[in-house]
Amino acid sequence: MTRKLCFLAFGFYFGFVLSRVGASDYSVIHRMFTAEDLHLAWVILTAIIVANLGMRYLKAKGNLGRDGKPIEIKQKTLGRFSVLGAAIFGIGWGMAGACPGTVLAQIGEGKILALFTLSGMLVGTYLYGYLLAHWPAIKG
Amino acid sequence: MYQALFVNTWPWWAGGILIGLLVPAFYYFHNTALGVSTGYGNLVKIISRSKLPWLQGETFADTWGWRVFFIGGMVLGAFVAGRLRGGPVLTGEMTLFTEVLNWPFLGYAIYFFSGGLFLGLGARIAGGCTSGHSIHGIANLHKSSIIVTIIFLIFGAIAAAFLRSYLLGGGGL
Repeated sequence: MTRKLCFLAFGFYFGFVLSRVGASDYSVIHRMFTAEDLHLAWVILTAIIVANLGMRYLKAKGNLGRDGKPIEIKQKTLGRFSVLGAAIFGIGWGMAGACPGTVLAQIGEGKILALFTLSGMLVGTYLYGYLLAHWPAIKG
Repeated sequence: MYQALFVNTWPWWAGGILIGLLVPAFYYFHNTALGVSTGYGNLVKIISRSKLPWLQGETFADTWGWRVFFIGGMVLGAFVAGRLRGGPVLTGEMTLFTEVLNWPFLGYAIYFFSGGLFLGLGARIAGGCTSGHSIHGIANLHKSSIIVTIIFLIFGAIAAAFLRSYLLGGGGL
């Protein structure tokens, strides 16, 4: 339970920061994609660099977690149709002006329309599970 | 001070640094990768009580797993951010989109639902979303994440350009 409460705290932090930095604002996301305002692109790029430096630091310190066990980095792989999945995702991101993280921030901020984005995401996730049962090649 | 912290939009570097720290923090404290979209599988399992084989697998063995708490925390965090900033608790607005288009509510609902459908299906086939691939994956120099992120951005830009041309009006915004 402590572990889950810790993730609740991490989530609180993430949602708070996403909201404060404007990542949950439809206009900000739209203008990133039209290259009119790269604010959000800089946020993502900075996050990548800081995350990379943090992982390097952990590695330099012996690659151990707080419990003293070695850290195992979860390797992201490509499924056969992952590029197609990424294209579908990109269209959704541009359309809805949200991604799976920022839609949660939009909901927290009280944006009612984000509830429809979330509902679509849940149905889309279910659809994946359904398709996967009939067509294992789409595994991500 | 209050204005800078809780009302004005933070500078990009502040948000970037604070978000980036989550990746090493996840590994250090819990030996796991930062990621949001997999948790939607937990939500689907909770809501639909689905017997889909995919949801019976190892990832979702703990139905009320940490991902559900992470997602719940995100909503709460943004709620508090919204309250501190002030303004309405509930709003039908979606900035640019609702400012430019004067659609009936049902039209908005269908539009955002469709966008969400693409996001949910696409994230699973792609094997992750912005946090898992674009931030966690690229930070760990995973080639797959770099490829997937480039495709995310290209198609996001295509969708936005299409929207601007046909719905949101050209220029002046």
